[in-house]
Amino acid sequence: MKKIFYYLMGIIGTISLACCDKINPEEYTIYDGAVIKWEKTNTTITPVQRVYVEKYTGPKCNNCPLADATLNNIHNENVVVVSINHPTGQGTPFPDQPDMRTDGGNAWDNYFGINAIPSAFINRDQSKLYQGSMDNIVSDIDQALSMTPIVALDVAANATLNNDYVFVNIDLMFAKAYNRPVTMTVALIEDSLYYKQLLPDNSVDENYVHNHMLRKVITGFWGRDVEATGTAGECVLGELEFSPSDDVKLQNCHIVAFVSDKSSRKVLNVASCKIE
Amino acid sequence: MKRKLCLMAAITLSLTGAIKAQGIMGGHVTGNVQLDAQMSREDTVIGAENVPEKLLMNARADILYTNGDFSAGLRFEMYQNPLLGFDAQYKGQGVANYFVAYNGKQLSVTAGNFYEQFGSGMILRTYEDRYLGLDNSLLGLNVHFRPFEGVTLKALAGKQRIYWNYGAGLVRGVDGEVNLNSLISSIADSKLRLTLGAGFVSKYEEDENIPSPDNPEFRLNLPLNVGAGAVRMDVSYGHWSLQAEYARKGQDPSIMNNYIYRPGEALMINTTWSQRGFSANLQAKHVDNMSFKSVRSQSGEMLYINYIPAITKQHTYAFLSMYPYATQVTGENGLQADVMYKFQKGTLLGGKYGTDIHINSAVITALDTIRTGGVGTEGYTAKWFALGELYYGDVSVEVAKKLSKSVKLTTTYAYQVFNPVVEGHAPDLYHNHVVVADLSWKVNKKHSLRFEAEWMGSDSYYNAKDEHHTDRRAGDWIMGLVEWNIGSHFFVSASDQYAYNDGIGNYYNLSVGYTQGATRLQLGYGKQREGLLCIGGVCRQVPASNGLTFSLTTSF
Repeated sequence: MKKIFYYLMGIIGTISLACCDKINPEEYTIYDGAVIKWEKTNTTITPVQRVYVEKYTGPKCNNCPLADATLNNIHNENVVVVSINHPTGQGTPFPDQPDMRTDGGNAWDNYFGINAIPSAFINRDQSKLYQGSMDNIVSDIDQALSMTPIVALDVAANATLNNDYVFVNIDLMFAKAYNRPVTMTVALIEDSLYYKQLLPDNSVDENYVHNHMLRKVITGFWGRDVEATGTAGECVLGELEFSPSDDVKLQNCHIVAFVSDKSSRKVLNVASCKIE
Repeated sequence: MKRKLCLMAAITLSLTGAIKAQGIMGGHVTGNVQLDAQMSREDTVIGAENVPEKLLMNARADILYTNGDFSAGLRFEMYQNPLLGFDAQYKGQGVANYFVAYNGKQLSVTAGNFYEQFGSGMILRTYEDRYLGLDNSLLGLNVHFRPFEGVTLKALAGKQRIYWNYGAGLVRGVDGEVNLNSLISSIADSKLRLTLGAGFVSKYEEDENIPSPDNPEFRLNLPLNVGAGAVRMDVSYGHWSLQAEYARKGQDPSIMNNYIYRPGEALMINTTWSQRGFSANLQAKHVDNMSFKSVRSQSGEMLYINYIPAITKQHTYAFLSMYPYATQVTGENGLQADVMYKFQKGTLLGGKYGTDIHINSAVITALDTIRTGGVGTEGYTAKWFALGELYYGDVSVEVAKKLSKSVKLTTTYAYQVFNPVVEGHAPDLYHNHVVVADLSWKVNKKHSLRFEAEWMGSDSYYNAKDEHHTDRRAGDWIMGLVEWNIGSHFFVSASDQYAYNDGIGNYYNLSVGYTQGATRLQLGYGKQREGLLCIGGVCRQVPASNGLTFSLTTSF
């Protein structure tokens, strides 16, 4: 009996010491995004200028399918579209429908002052913001594609067997010298999402196919600093990992990584890949 | 799991087929049943809303099978639909609670739903109160071990009940208590009685994303394991006794404390002098950020792991309990003094039958805090027992005197100061005077009557156009009650509460009841004033109603 008593006292003592977490004041809040580990490499990349199109949409927006059609007709692998659900009004979901709004998308929407949908942005250039009509967006995209790239970018992603983790590798090379700080933003995008959408004739398509939907900004809303000096020819490799939530189908997802000017937030280049 | 539960329910119910059949399989079946039903219709004057279902009902049956050291039980509950004031999430029916237990001399083990308390409950108390609609029982395993005479060790783990589900948080706890007089034979008969105890409770909850309000790219770094520990002592010497407990809780940012990281602590001291014809009691408490729940995002009264004892008097008369004090687990200081004295018969004040006088006073204040930040910070600083704004204060004097062999009169005067901020409203101070006269008259062997008259004068007032003054308890009130007991079986009562000045409503009630053995039936008709029902400082909002009520209780 004494043995049992001592064992119990031991268990009590162990539980008392182990079952309490202490957080230091400087760690009360933590960065809510994946951290990118940067290292210098010698991997050179062929510079290709791609275009990042940020589209703001919503399931109760009857003109949004028109914008989808315009952008879907651009069959160019160098155009990377990301659809963001507007946080209020026409962006709110129909009852019992999935809510595609995200914290990151809401933050971007608020920052860029999106007050009407559909809206679309080319490379986050305020002069290339289309609200309502998408006329001329195709020619502006073509013009952006013709620019000489400042940075070259490649991205690859692999998931673990049980899809618990996704590992992302980003190769970045400065094709030209760039002496301003740049950031890297990585996002998870999902295609083939079927849920209700209001159509231009005000009918509702119960199974509208939503593509390029932003599901999560992995790195934090405004990205992580790229640890590089910005000299021409400099190459760096960024590695990060994240745990996808259960409500995404990884086989329908891809990773979008884009480099931005830290100050102006204009996108310099973008890359996209499927998750292997 | 469901199959096991069904099997157990079937076994237990089959055992109860012969309700009074004690001795089944050598065991013993006991239980109780309670049914409360309510009909209410719209009454715009008192704010009662129409009940679409017409009839609301709460019912429950507790069944316990005992056979030697073994026992098993279950509780069936039905809320179809819940009575007014009970959370709609209770809607439904089923076996809400079940357990099997072994209770040996040295070892007791309970598997299933169980209720437990460490010390005064400041770090752990699971309990249920059907009138509050509250059940925070743990579903898990509870072990009591008594290795030596006077030593009790407890260990438990489980998840807490919330309506028909269980909270996501996992609760683990250990507690030890030593009665030194039982443990040490040389002081076994000492007048000095000493019991020491200590406990520790930890809850584990998965991480979640609570954004920092200052920077949306940052989120709170939440402690997944939150611990709370307490030490306590209970000492007595002759007529004097002292109970003291100090509890401390680790960082526990939650919706209850606006997600701050300040650790919690509480101290409770209770000392009593008691002898024939006289007793005096003094209680003090200091509570600082001691909300301890198994789910950090759960607001309201559900999923509390701990319980902070109330130190205000639990009044029973209608107007004395109209403004009950709700314990502020996030922070309060409190002091209560209670004196009872009996003037012996034959003395000047005692008269022929003696006179009892009972004086009670309590004062509860906020902590005196200095705010240092909001979500994701330490929150505030506070000094021990430095007093903040007044939450509640009262003083009551009750004199009970038997006027003759058959007549007893109890008169009470109370003065209360109440701050509605404790109910989540804007700060204010209501000053109430209450006078109660309660006369019992045993007419003969079969009949007795009870008359009650109450008056309350208050500086609070009702104004439907002012959102800060829509409390229907406001204003000056009078009340009368007559209760007629016929034999030991029947009773009839009639009462009326009327807000005659600056208030609103006329709340009349008629009820009849019948008691036969352990069975009691009661039927009532009348109006219920909206307000708070508080038991032990834990409160439930009771909405206004106008209609019939019916209750049935029985045990076997």
